[in-house]
Amino acid sequence: MPSWFKKVFNNDVAKPAPRPESAPVATAPEPAIATAPEPEPSAQPEAPEPSITEIEGGAKIRKLLSGHIVIPEEERLSWSEEIRIKACPDEEGATCTFMLDRPVLEGLSAWFPEKIWAKDVCSLAETLFKIKGVGSVMLHDTTVTVAYAKGRIDDWKALAEEIGTAIREQLKTDAPVIIEEFREGVPPQDEIRQKLQSCLDMEINPGIASHSGVITLERIDGNTIYITMGGGCQGCAASTITLRNGIHTVFRKAVPQIGAIYDETDHASGTNPYFKELPAGMA
Amino acid sequence: MPRLDTFTLEIKTGERSGPEKPNFNINGFPLEFDDLEGGTGSGETLNAMGSPQSFPHALALIGPADGQEPWDIESVKATYHCGGAEPYTIHLGAVTLDDESNLNIWHEPPLPTFDV
Repeated sequence: MPSWFKKVFNNDVAKPAPRPESAPVATAPEPAIATAPEPEPSAQPEAPEPSITEIEGGAKIRKLLSGHIVIPEEERLSWSEEIRIKACPDEEGATCTFMLDRPVLEGLSAWFPEKIWAKDVCSLAETLFKIKGVGSVMLHDTTVTVAYAKGRIDDWKALAEEIGTAIREQLKTDAPVIIEEFREGVPPQDEIRQKLQSCLDMEINPGIASHSGVITLERIDGNTIYITMGGGCQGCAASTITLRNGIHTVFRKAVPQIGAIYDETDHASGTNPYFKELPAGMA
Repeated sequence: MPRLDTFTLEIKTGERSGPEKPNFNINGFPLEFDDLEGGTGSGETLNAMGSPQSFPHALALIGPADGQEPWDIESVKATYHCGGAEPYTIHLGAVTLDDESNLNIWHEPPLPTFDV
């Protein structure tokens, strides 16, 4: 029986120490973390930084800044005569993102959940839907993301090769990737914001309030939406399901023209992550 | 989540200098860097190596101490060595840390890619 279990049920638990924001996941499940090496006494700074002392005592709460990941110039895919494409399957094998060295749909994103949605609208998506195994297609700037039609696939290699070839061949035709009416049909950003905020205020956030969750509309870029999931949603294992089944559905119903919806939440940090209520010593 | 054996940081400081000896914390445990070379003065570059030997749910570069001036970081290049796997590197852009903020420096290994 784990020691934390005995402590909890013998009422031998000290009041949980306030956890500093800078270390939001201090209740790590791995023993190695609980016994993470403290600095050797000899290695202690002669005059420890006050901020560190305060963090140890939990008296000071610090914001954890994410920083922006940048791709150095030398690592970027450079424009070449031949269209270069890199494939990146996700960990579950459900989707594969194709990164190109040039824009596919500049300034916009478009999502086609089924073949019929792409018909006479997007020539590239129509082409991809002819490939067996393609379930849905998302275009955004320099990327094309394809979901597998039957859930997941162990090895994307063969399918990705076929999709890559199709993308390359389609782009070589110089035919418009998407019809002009699609671009013209995207509502102004203020209108999108107003409608989505209304969805959040009236429908989504009241629904997840019982979990202490809150969804924030961070920004809109063209018809691409960026949200964060806070409170009890942050770090929750069900947050992906909430996003896909709940937020996506409601948002797309309100504004059918929106394309990609990205969750920018850092699910491993924050002031109120999902697992903050673990008793002290449980790790 | 991989076990993080060691990591190195190359921190370029912008206009406002940072702490002379910055520290990091892993899962709430503040630790010192093993090796520090260079500096955090204006325009200087600091190379630092940390050896957490643990599973990083949270890994952060600690900002300036209480009452100290903000630290303008121009860029951070972080290289991670995780449990026998190939090391990987990420680059972070400009950020300013003050005495109320830390910088998240933990990023999972990138998903593998291949040319098609």
